Amino acid sequence: MTSFAIQTRSLTKTYGHGTRKVCAVDDLSLNVPSGSIYGLLGRNSAGKTTTIRMALGLARPTSGSLEVFGLHPFDDPDRVTVLQQVGYVPEDKGLSVGTPRRLFETNRAYYPNTWSDALARTLIERLELPLDTPGLKLSLGNKTKAALICAIAQRSPLLILDEPTIGLDPVVLDTLLSILVEECMSEGRTVFLSSHQLHEIERIADWIGIMDCGHLMLEGRLDDIRARFRRLIVSGTSLPQSGPSIVSTRPSGRGTEYILQQDPEAFAADLASNGATILDSAPLSLNDIFLELCRTRDGKEVEA
Amino acid sequence: MLSLHISASSGVPVYLQLEQQIKHSISSGLLQPGDQLPSTRRTAAELRINPNTVARAFQNLERDGVIRTVPGGGTFVGEAAAAGQGLLKSEKLRRLRPLANQLAVEAAQLRVVREDVARLLNEAFDALHSSTDRSRKPKSSATAETDS
Repeated sequence: MTSFAIQTRSLTKTYGHGTRKVCAVDDLSLNVPSGSIYGLLGRNSAGKTTTIRMALGLARPTSGSLEVFGLHPFDDPDRVTVLQQVGYVPEDKGLSVGTPRRLFETNRAYYPNTWSDALARTLIERLELPLDTPGLKLSLGNKTKAALICAIAQRSPLLILDEPTIGLDPVVLDTLLSILVEECMSEGRTVFLSSHQLHEIERIADWIGIMDCGHLMLEGRLDDIRARFRRLIVSGTSLPQSGPSIVSTRPSGRGTEYILQQDPEAFAADLASNGATILDSAPLSLNDIFLELCRTRDGKEVEA
Repeated sequence: MLSLHISASSGVPVYLQLEQQIKHSISSGLLQPGDQLPSTRRTAAELRINPNTVARAFQNLERDGVIRTVPGGGTFVGEAAAAGQGLLKSEKLRRLRPLANQLAVEAAQLRVVREDVARLLNEAFDALHSSTDRSRKPKSSATAETDS
């Protein structure tokens, strides 16, 4: 039986009232399995950060439920237990006062039982972080590194990283991916990260969720999602334009291009048995899938 | 050392890429029966991919008899006779069918007749055998197909 690090049911968060009401998270049901690297993907203002803030008890849901290791982060006394089990890198990366060294000393005091000086030293060396530069003078990349080291070295069973790759150069980014895979997965930790850096997520995540306008568009094991989605180019007459497995269709030369989201083989076999010719069948990258889902949604809203 | 390459953006599931590359290394003689494979964790860290994905590829390869895992002792390339042993012929053919379909489509597109495709396939088999013979001892009779 799979246990979940984070689970939400019909989670909704609205801000404001009346005509100025904004629904940041809308009827969201997420399942983040323990021991996974879960990538929460979405465009700007898709509701990723609001979801993360609710998981940490920093915002209270308007309705619905959210559990972290089966606990409720916005109610005492669960809140403290949740915070003890979560390493968090906030969206703004913090660190406006003091040096990284001070930040680490403060954090070590908060997590006396789990904090590892040895791990912190290794990470500082691998990520090449200057320790004694004041926060105000640190580059965005170095602030990100400081926040990451802080969260990882406290060795909590759950890491929540809000845009953890911001400002990192390609070499540091590569090191970070390796650290997440080695240090975190070897201890069976769960990593829940939000991003729009699809290429990086595509490598290390085994689960992804795609959010748009507060809704969950897609959730699943990344490899299963890859196997389900396909681009098909077909020529023939009276081809279907809509159906449960079709995300979008568009003309392509004299044929039709289909983007499919389930059972592509069955769909292709069905078309072929009706006399159509399959000209091409190719898998989609995560980037393609993301664009298709978010673009299709935009199109529907324009029509409506 | 075995070198593996993952293209995350190709759209092909990463565990399938790993399985195909390991199978290819074995059929080309780069890996031989008894050779040790790096651990799941090391493979994952080196390729910067999820360890669960590596584990999934290794599990599938083990199920197919391509590799074998010694509990607590590592993962090794299996004996050639063991590869595919647990599979029915119908299952083997089912796995090859999509490749055959693709080959037929490409050939029809290029107006290549089926005799030429058959010749091409024979040449590919010959090339494969000569390259494994060079790097490996001659095959024993144990490697012959047993379930046809």
